[in-house]
Amino acid sequence: MLLLGLAYVLSGREGTGAQASFSLLIGTALGIIFERARFCFFCIFRDAIEDRNTTPILSVLSAIAVGSVGYAILFGQFLPDTSTEFFPPNAHIGPVSWVLALAGLVFGIGMTLSGACISGHLYRIGQGSLRAFPALLGSLIGFGLGFASWNKLYLSTLATAPKTWLPHTFGYAGSLFITLALLLILALIARRWRATSEPISNAPSKSFYASLIIKRWPPLLSGALVGVVGTVAYLRIEPLGVTRQLSTTARTVLSDRGYLPETLEGLDVMKGCIAVVSSTITNNGWLIIGIVFASLAAALAGNRFSWQSITVKNSLTALIGGVMLGWSSMIALGCTVGVLLSGTQAFALSGWVFFATVFVGTLLSIKLKLHKI
Amino acid sequence: MFISRKRVIALAASVAAVAITATSFTPAQAAPKNQARSVVQADWLEKNLDDPKVVVVEVSTEPGIYERGHIRNAVKITWHTDLVDTVNRDVVSSAKFQKFAQAAGINQDSTVVLYGDKNNWFAAWGAWIFNLYGAKDVRLLDGGRVKWEKDGRALTTAVTTKAKGNFTATRLDKSLRATLLQDIIPVAKKRVKTDLIDIRSADEFSGKIFAPAGFQELAVRAGHIPGAINVPWGSNVNADGTFKTVAELKKLYADKGVDGKQPIITYCRIGERSSLTWFVLSEILGYNVKNYDGSWTEYGNTVGVPISNPSGTIWGNS
Repeated sequence: MLLLGLAYVLSGREGTGAQASFSLLIGTALGIIFERARFCFFCIFRDAIEDRNTTPILSVLSAIAVGSVGYAILFGQFLPDTSTEFFPPNAHIGPVSWVLALAGLVFGIGMTLSGACISGHLYRIGQGSLRAFPALLGSLIGFGLGFASWNKLYLSTLATAPKTWLPHTFGYAGSLFITLALLLILALIARRWRATSEPISNAPSKSFYASLIIKRWPPLLSGALVGVVGTVAYLRIEPLGVTRQLSTTARTVLSDRGYLPETLEGLDVMKGCIAVVSSTITNNGWLIIGIVFASLAAALAGNRFSWQSITVKNSLTALIGGVMLGWSSMIALGCTVGVLLSGTQAFALSGWVFFATVFVGTLLSIKLKLHKI
Repeated sequence: MFISRKRVIALAASVAAVAITATSFTPAQAAPKNQARSVVQADWLEKNLDDPKVVVVEVSTEPGIYERGHIRNAVKITWHTDLVDTVNRDVVSSAKFQKFAQAAGINQDSTVVLYGDKNNWFAAWGAWIFNLYGAKDVRLLDGGRVKWEKDGRALTTAVTTKAKGNFTATRLDKSLRATLLQDIIPVAKKRVKTDLIDIRSADEFSGKIFAPAGFQELAVRAGHIPGAINVPWGSNVNADGTFKTVAELKKLYADKGVDGKQPIITYCRIGERSSLTWFVLSEILGYNVKNYDGSWTEYGNTVGVPISNPSGTIWGNS
């Protein structure tokens, strides 16, 4: 399996440049971590809400904590002076408004309906999930709807919405302190809410092989790994995100057929998982390929690969949920990876708003039992 | 009394104007101009990176490219905030430029070496601005950032800190900058003999298209300024982005009838690509050249000026 992965990396290297190759490696790392740790935002939120099992959510908090330390280190070098109005290059700092909150809620509901967030669907393809396909198809349609509604939302709200970045007010040390303090509070709340007695770290397994390949990786460690990968991705290429390629594909297909508005106002100067018009595979496309194939490799190695059942009904819910995921991640300029993780790690208020509203959206839709349809 | 008083005053005024132009001309002319001096080779730069007299400046357009790796000791310029006035359509003010240059550690006697992405387009704009404000030794890295990377030369992410320099910006050197009213319209109306060089693509020049592919239309007329000749900027460089030799460049322009014997004005769409041709003609060949930064986005939108549009395209006509 590793050989398969390596071969893929090498083929990526020919003619596509170091950036594409490196993106593929980042995707490979993420695919393995996501699969081994079950790093799926919907599952993590559902465990916390339904089963009061809050241990998995520690992986998200740990990813933000480690990533924010990494980002602080890079920011200090990329933009030493935070007293100007400038932002660090490429960081996912988005406009904060009711539009973002709405997108978060819709994303949360879309996750519940379709069974996973976008990165979740991607790594689950590697585990044999067939529902991922209608869900991702739905998200492409959703991106199209997002483009169709973009200009109106941009001109009425997003253009003047504040792009709040904590270091402009608190500097890097202050922002890091606030972020870590907030994470600590969330972790304490999670501990209190916890009803199950699943230990935070697994009991040491007798076999190294079993703990590496078979057993689920412990949440704090896997979260930390996601944080490290996020930092490395920002240093070398761009902040982590998984929707840029999907969004680009949707934009390119639709604009070729003339279905899109002539210009998407202000989109190209926004920071996040922004679609470009391109018919070639972007760096982000290589990252996604990496996620899918590495997850497949990890699943096969751990004997977790199986074709999952698909019915007309559950593919329909996946499709509709996917449309919601696509629309909201176009409007929010990214999904749970691009906005929630890469935003909070970059000290953007938009990341936290998205975190909160996605959680609320998931909570509401689980209470309405949308995942049981 | 054959000469009226009015005429005397006009005569005196024009003599004064000539005198002012002549004096403001000296700084740019003071240094000898040739390729060996104004274009630095990567080997030379590598050897002189630690020379305190050499200040390396990166002017790239892709966000984050400098931060993720730049030539050691290089400082960064963001062209759309550091090199232009963000409110008025104008180049950066003298005071603001001086403040920036001093913070970058530039002294009166510094050798400023600029490089950037996209074949040094914006680095050349930077070189033009440095010259406008009287920097005496401004050079471009041959081949820019792309060639440096292709050669496998080292980049670093470490940010350099510089002691404040003592560079003082002069008043804007008008002998290097063309304006619509004073320079362009007299040429377009054939009142003044000047070689006008349009460096945009052939399709933009002929009026087939209003803007290069991927760019928004910013002018409501297509075509070029009457009398301009078309020498696309790319013909100044080799396939790897390095400048052609002095002999090749001389021939390139001589074949188009430009030999430096009369003044030259370069323009493009916004004046940034044409600053590369300005650099070639002024700094490498030593001709008398002004860059017209208003360029086609000003001229092509101006009411009541003549244009030449061989393609006959009409804006908004579908």
